[in-house]
Amino acid sequence: MGLIVLLAALPLLFAFLTALTVPLRLEKLAKYPFLAGAVAPWAVFLFEKAGNEVVGGWPRIGGIEVSLDVYNTPLVLGELILFTAVAVYSLDYFREVKAFVLLLLLHAGLLGAFISRDLFNFYIFMEIASVSSFALVGSSGKRKAVRAAYKYLMLSLLASYFFVFSIGVIYLKTGYLNLELISESVMPSKEINVAIAIAFASLLLKAGIFPLHVWLPDAHSLAPTPVSALLSGAVVKAPAYGMILIFSALPVSEGLSETAMVLAVASIFFGVAMALLQKDAKRLLAYHTVSQMGYVLLGIASMNFVGAAYYAMAHSLFKGGLFLSVGSLGKKSRKLGEFGYKNAPLMALSVLMLSLAIGGVSPFIGSYAKGLISSGLAGAWKWAVLAGSVGTLVSFTKLNYYLTKGEAPALPLSWKFASFALALAAFVGGLVLGAVPKVTDVYLLLAGILLFLLFKMAGVFELTLEKEDVKPGEVNTGAMLFALFLLLLLYLAEL
Amino acid sequence: MKMSLVVRTTTKLIAPFLVTYGAYLTIYGYESPGGGFQAGVLFAVSVILLMTAYGYRRTKKHFPLRTVQLVESASALWVVGIALIGLAFGAFFLNFLRLYIPGGTVMTFNIGVALKVGTSFVLVFYVLSRWVDRD
Repeated sequence: MGLIVLLAALPLLFAFLTALTVPLRLEKLAKYPFLAGAVAPWAVFLFEKAGNEVVGGWPRIGGIEVSLDVYNTPLVLGELILFTAVAVYSLDYFREVKAFVLLLLLHAGLLGAFISRDLFNFYIFMEIASVSSFALVGSSGKRKAVRAAYKYLMLSLLASYFFVFSIGVIYLKTGYLNLELISESVMPSKEINVAIAIAFASLLLKAGIFPLHVWLPDAHSLAPTPVSALLSGAVVKAPAYGMILIFSALPVSEGLSETAMVLAVASIFFGVAMALLQKDAKRLLAYHTVSQMGYVLLGIASMNFVGAAYYAMAHSLFKGGLFLSVGSLGKKSRKLGEFGYKNAPLMALSVLMLSLAIGGVSPFIGSYAKGLISSGLAGAWKWAVLAGSVGTLVSFTKLNYYLTKGEAPALPLSWKFASFALALAAFVGGLVLGAVPKVTDVYLLLAGILLFLLFKMAGVFELTLEKEDVKPGEVNTGAMLFALFLLLLLYLAEL
Repeated sequence: MKMSLVVRTTTKLIAPFLVTYGAYLTIYGYESPGGGFQAGVLFAVSVILLMTAYGYRRTKKHFPLRTVQLVESASALWVVGIALIGLAFGAFFLNFLRLYIPGGTVMTFNIGVALKVGTSFVLVFYVLSRWVDRD
């Protein structure tokens, strides 16, 4: 019927309706258009057939093509589930209408980025999502959060401009922005290699993968809890989808895809290692996003886009749920050991379920997605996935160990409901997709717990790596790192 | 803070012409160079000129903050609304008005964009000057 584009248009419409309540002095009613905007895309998603369409029936060369295909349906579904839970959560969290409007704009931007099959529109929608997330990160008004938002803004905009530049080069060489037309008409050449390398580097920064992750732990841990859940669960997936677009439509050189594999594995282990040393619960989860995005990149680099998309969906469910549950437990203090779920059985259940899901233990969706990722890998790379799972289990044993010690504050019902709904989604999703229990999971769990005890005896968790504030100089460091890394990729793209 | 008499008088004289030119760009934007964004910037510039010459407080009397906010979100709704009404005739952003209005949806769309862009810029300046808190 051609209604796929409504996925992005409906949240936009309701965002403006929500904004209209401010000048009309109807702020009390703002939550209704907000909820309507959060839920409306579900109707489109459920009743629309998969397929491609060009908006408005224009010819493909000039029109905007959107699609719901095998690559982006999991991403859209994951975003919808996560955003619905976050919307319910934020009703009791945010007071101002501004935050609701920004959340809806984020929703529209993400959905628009996920459905576009056109490089420029992908960029526009990714930017809508990024700009609203900068504002949301700083919306609490705390000094640290504002500084983290500033750092995120500068580095992310730097990457965006390079991305637009690379789109320009691709347009110059092929004459098209539409993915389908690009892939039909592209010829391998030096300029295309350069464009791919630049686009890849900037998307790596925006996705927060290892050497360019510097902004991610600060922004994701200092943001308000529902925003953290969205940032880790969905916003970093938009650049990952951009990588899927680039890798599927353009001829990526051997050197670059090899580099991507190495980066992915480095990201997996670096994230886990840093997460183990953290004392702040939300920072631990933020470092885990670095690690988990490594798996997504592993899927993309091995040309296993379906695996990457399913992993991204699984990650939005469990990481969003973890941020919501751990963030609301640590409402007062986020230091590990000072809070916990001792007197909150429902929260305990959700955190445990989500921890198992992120570790890739089997009836949960994480194990299905990990299976998909490793099915596309050869030999030694498979072991990296397994070793990464053990590392993840170790750090989540640590999280749960500290959480069992503390008391939970009184929480609104909607917060408990939102975290438990995501935990349930991770469980049911695994069952529906057909994750079968395996014996290896028991070994993995045991290995994780044993390693945790070993580390604890060795005193690894006593090490301090505290960071009090975001310093302005870090922006320069990040930009320099990006420049060096970009040069390296440009060199490798020619190999 | 007030500017000198020369500046104030010139501004008063120029501002109506700017608005006229903006309206021209909006209406004929579909067949000649121009369009919603450029026209919106012109609308904003005329208000911002008044603001620099007469100060925030006096400008706010004629263009109240709430009205600007109202027009801003309403024009955004107008743009999305046109795109959605096209659905009733077959496709999102279908040019269903072509038979009745010259330029069809393109012109109506431009009007929405011009209002949105103009009021957004004015709003940005309002917020900034309230923040700086001079005059």
